[in-house]
Amino acid sequence: MTESPLLSVRDLSVRFRTGGGHVRAVDGVSFDVRRGETLAVLGESGSGKSVTAQAVMGILPKPAGEIAGGTIVYDGRDLLAEDPNRVRRLRGDEIAMVFQDPLSSLNPVFRVGWQIGEMFRRHRGASRRAARAAAVELMERVGIPAAARRVDDFPHQFSGGMRQRIMIAMALALRPRLLIADEPTTALDVTVQAQIMRLLADLRREEGMALVLITHDLGVVADVADRALLMYAGRAVETGGIREVYDHAAHPYTRGLMASIPDLDGPRERLTPVRGAPPNLLALPSGCSFHPRCPHATDRCRADDPVLRAVDGRPAEHRAACHHAEEVVAGERERV
Amino acid sequence: MSANGSEPLLSVRDLHTTFPLRSALLRRVTGHVQAVAGVSFDLRRGETLGLVGESGSGKSTLARTVIGLERAASGTVTFDGRELTSASPAELRAARRDVQMIFQDPYSSLNPRRTAGQIVAEAWEIHPGVVPRSRWRDEARDLLARVGLDPSHADRYPHQFSGGQRQRLGIARALALRPKLVICDEAVSALDVSIQAQVLNLLADLQADLGLTYLFIAHDLSVVRHVSDRVAVMYAGRVVELAEQEEIFRRPTHPYTQALLSAVPVPRPWSQPPRERILLTGDVPSPADPPSGCRFRTRCWKARDECAEVEPALEPRLGLHPSACHFAELPAAHR
Ligand SMILES: Nc1ncnc2c1ncn2[C@@H]1O[C@H](COP(=O)(O)OP(=O)(O)OP(=O)(O)O)[C@@H](O)[C@H]1O
Ligand SMILES: Nc1ncnc2c1ncn2[C@@H]1O[C@H](COP(=O)(O)OP(=O)(O)O)[C@@H](O)[C@H]1O
Ligand code: SF4
Ligand code: SF4
Ligand SMILES: [Mg+2]
Ligand SMILES: [Mg+2]
Repeated sequence: MTESPLLSVRDLSVRFRTGGGHVRAVDGVSFDVRRGETLAVLGESGSGKSVTAQAVMGILPKPAGEIAGGTIVYDGRDLLAEDPNRVRRLRGDEIAMVFQDPLSSLNPVFRVGWQIGEMFRRHRGASRRAARAAAVELMERVGIPAAARRVDDFPHQFSGGMRQRIMIAMALALRPRLLIADEPTTALDVTVQAQIMRLLADLRREEGMALVLITHDLGVVADVADRALLMYAGRAVETGGIREVYDHAAHPYTRGLMASIPDLDGPRERLTPVRGAPPNLLALPSGCSFHPRCPHATDRCRADDPVLRAVDGRPAEHRAACHHAEEVVAGERERV
Repeated sequence: MSANGSEPLLSVRDLHTTFPLRSALLRRVTGHVQAVAGVSFDLRRGETLGLVGESGSGKSTLARTVIGLERAASGTVTFDGRELTSASPAELRAARRDVQMIFQDPYSSLNPRRTAGQIVAEAWEIHPGVVPRSRWRDEARDLLARVGLDPSHADRYPHQFSGGQRQRLGIARALALRPKLVICDEAVSALDVSIQAQVLNLLADLQADLGLTYLFIAHDLSVVRHVSDRVAVMYAGRVVELAEQEEIFRRPTHPYTQALLSAVPVPRPWSQPPRERILLTGDVPSPADPPSGCRFRTRCWKARDECAEVEPALEPRLGLHPSACHFAELPAAHR
């Protein structure tokens, strides 16, 4: 028997009001997060990764952004239908989030220990003393050296990597069952990036929580993610086990991304980038919105919008939104 | 003319750049940051030298000092046979024409109130005699086409271009004066990977066609490997290792380079032999108060007493390329 997923998103659409009209930043996206797994959400900037996370967390910027359709079911509870106050508490307690820029998400005028302790005081009614002790413990847990001495320092007194550790400590304070990390290492140096990814992977294992890692960098999550979800222009275009998707990409966009990354070893060949640029969401191309950039595009692609579907000959959970996924997997040569 | 084909295009010797540290309250100088602390290297004509290192290691300051945007505290910068740190303003202006820079954030480096065509032509106003005014319009369009932009978009403003297109515009502007040396400071770092690959290909084509020399600053080692002939690794204001690209990536001998390489994320780690992961602990030292001796010793797992006492020189070690480590050795896999 398969266990029910921890988070189940179905047909999610999010709309933003902009000067130029309504944009559908997320358009009919469906995915599951299983208990205890790590899901990587991948795609280039503007593809809708952060907006998807904001929708799940209930922090879409209002009034510009609104959910235009779909359901978000967490542990059997429909978050969009339930009483907003109860959902808010659930989102603080059980679902936590870490953002790209730790400095702007920490309050510069409060000591970091106080900010971490606030989680315990507000959500758990802990005393000041107990909250402070818990803060020190968490800071140790996320690898801040001499935590007991640094608990009263201000955010600007920490390096970028240490600030991200503090954000992770805050997110973990209430022992969430789902942690969403949106580009948690993008602003950091590679050596620090590796430390933070290792920390997140260790914590996930120890806590048994599920982790959603949002990033534009296909490399940073390869070591730690179980499954991948690729987004393009607000759509989910490919999903499956991470090795399956990286080794047997069935969507031309996924292939293009892989081919755009220079290798760290092997011969240095000319890169084969995806041609063109991501579309303007206000003027999406007809049919498959990737067709102007796609080396496999046919007339059918220009007319019909492909749905996310299983790929013949690949494991059932490998799905791609492409009319020609089978040929793409088979590595059929580019049409001109 | 003193310049000839075989001497390096750029020679940097023992360059130091310091910034005063001021107290917040009285604006009194309370100390100095040594952003660049004794850097020497040559740049050969037509080559690409990659410059890598963590944030704050001094890469941008080094570049800015080379082109005269920061004043060197000591040391020399010789460009095309001319010594620049003691040059007259007129000589400096001439040299600046030959050295152009492309920045990370194309948006903030482009004047939002000027059209693409005007942005490209701006340099011809400042340096009259390069292109006669009557030819500005045509030359600007040629340049836009050269970098893969639609020449008919010459009348558009920066905000009407995408990030990748703005970076192309920044490249067109840098090429307007037909420079010999182009310094790319994180020029592709902010771009999405598919667009980044397009711009990397463009830079390669321009180098082949125009004989450009690049100083290529980036924190992404896969990108640096892809573009560079040689690579210099910086740590806390100093170059700690310098070698041909192959050497740096295959046979790094400095512990910091080895740690940096081991941390680079690779897209399909399972398709490669398992890598030794060196996870550095601790932070980059404060440049206002660098450690004595070897600046890397506070994070180095091989540090011994000697490392705190004697600063290791950047010199050939193990019969290989220059490396600034007393105990330079090949990675475990090569021993
Ligand atoms: N104008 C300035 N005043 C004071 N300190 C400065 C100034 N510019 C740079 N620094 C300091 O000099 C050191 C080197 O900075 P630099 O910008 O050259 O680093 P970088 O290697 O280019 O880093 P990044 O990868 O983040 O771009 C840092 O400690 C920085 O804080
Ligand atoms: N507050 C907002 N107002 C209007 N449009 C927005 C807002 N936030 C995001 N968008 C748009 O939604 C799309 C997806 O954005 P986002 O989810 O942030 O992308 P990413 O995949 O880079 O995280 C983009 O076109 C973006 O411009
Ligand atoms: S549906 Fe057609 S255009 Fe879209 S990705 Fe597949 S082949 Fe390309
Ligand atoms: S000199 Fe010493 S501290 Fe410096 S890198 Fe070598 S072993 Fe490490
Ligand atoms: Mg985002
Ligand atoms: Mg810099």
